[in-house]
Amino acid sequence: MSGIEIFQTWLVAFFTLALFSFLYKDNPVYKLAEHIFAGLTTGYQVGLIWDTVVLQKLWDPMIYDGKWWLFVPGILGIMMFSRFTSKYSWLSRIPLAFVMGTTGGIFLTTQLHGLVLPAMKSTMLPLGGGGGFAAALLAVVVVVGVISTLIYFYFSKEHTGALGVTAKIGIWFIMISFGAHFGYTVMGRVSLLIGRMQFLINDWIGSF
Amino acid sequence: MGFWERIEQFDHRWIYLLVGLAVIIPFIFPASFPVSITPEAQSLYDTVEALPDSSVVMLVFDYYPSTMAETEPMAIAAARHFFSKDCRVITLSNIPLGGPSMAETVTRRIANEYGKKYGTDFVNLGYKYGYVSVLKGMGQSIEDIFPTDNSGTPLSQLPLMDSVKNYDDVKFIFEVADNATADYWISIVNAGYGVPMGVGMTAVMAPKFYSFFGSKQIVGLLGGMKGAAEYEILIGHKDAAFRGMDVQSLVHLLIIGFVVLGNIGFFVSRKHRRRIGK
Repeated sequence: MSGIEIFQTWLVAFFTLALFSFLYKDNPVYKLAEHIFAGLTTGYQVGLIWDTVVLQKLWDPMIYDGKWWLFVPGILGIMMFSRFTSKYSWLSRIPLAFVMGTTGGIFLTTQLHGLVLPAMKSTMLPLGGGGGFAAALLAVVVVVGVISTLIYFYFSKEHTGALGVTAKIGIWFIMISFGAHFGYTVMGRVSLLIGRMQFLINDWIGSF
Repeated sequence: MGFWERIEQFDHRWIYLLVGLAVIIPFIFPASFPVSITPEAQSLYDTVEALPDSSVVMLVFDYYPSTMAETEPMAIAAARHFFSKDCRVITLSNIPLGGPSMAETVTRRIANEYGKKYGTDFVNLGYKYGYVSVLKGMGQSIEDIFPTDNSGTPLSQLPLMDSVKNYDDVKFIFEVADNATADYWISIVNAGYGVPMGVGMTAVMAPKFYSFFGSKQIVGLLGGMKGAAEYEILIGHKDAAFRGMDVQSLVHLLIIGFVVLGNIGFFVSRKHRRRIGK
């Protein structure tokens, strides 16, 4: 291992242990690591946006490739900064309207075509479509789950009678979903801890 | 103070310590808990296995370094599977923080294991800002969106890219992600251009993506470290994720124990409080 690699390993180990120290209690070493992380991330993002957006997408094509019309989005981008002054903040509504319009236009079709319609289609399963009794039962469970969950989120009528019973069934489906999410979340967080432990045991302690 | 009251007021730092021990002990004494293969992982493996040799595939590194423990084993296992089938691999990233460099490091390391050559067998396109326009734009022309690769070499100088104009020339996409970009790969690229897709997700995101598997929008799904371990078993190369599963099993048993104890403590204390009229 070269000198720079050893330094890098010790630096990573220091920051890992500094962040873990919060588990005992809040302390200055944890705060130091937290602030360095926040500062580095912000600095990196600013540099990245400057390079990949301002220079690569705007300045270079406009100046070196003759794409002069890019000054229009450039000015729209500058208008966003008018939010920092109370007198001219209204100017920022123009680029915001443009962003909202294009985002709405793009996402309306992609979300509907790519997410909503396929999800609806996969809910409408044929009972006799092959796969036997288990598949048919699963199809019924999916339909009951979708309808009862949607009814739970229907608030225009009091949840009493048949509506209340259906909403209660919906709660059960939601709870089962939360349980699955919780289980997976535990696994995810433990995985991150495993990753750090693998580094500390194999890479850091292993380098002694 | 009774036992259950003491449990309710247990200092949580003891729990952290026990979890820490449960993570460290399996590293010293490996137990090799069994890992079952789910239909989602099997389906992903079968789809890649059925690809014709030398197919062009995309391996997308849409994860931040903070989730490497979960996601990187998936990317490594997928790269091994693709190269073992002589697939030509195009890597890219929609994540600015670390994505392109992780794609570079992982792909080059695995490519070396299989004797693959940069430019002919694999290419790293790198990162471009604005994933929605990037994903849509590659449907028309990959070269318009990525005029150069991650190192600045024009795509026209890379033999692999001679035969790849847009998604029509890509047989399969494997997206490894820890964020919402996976939704857009499905809703824009799969739905819009019909390219078969598999995804590898962090465990936190995995439950949502089961619905995409159910609706057949993705051919397979790897959820968290468990999913990565499954894929390592399927390709016959047990690695970091498989080794981590011992720890997962032990910590999960510990947490199940805590949940059971906590619930019993809650009900016993509630009964006690009702009895004394508090």
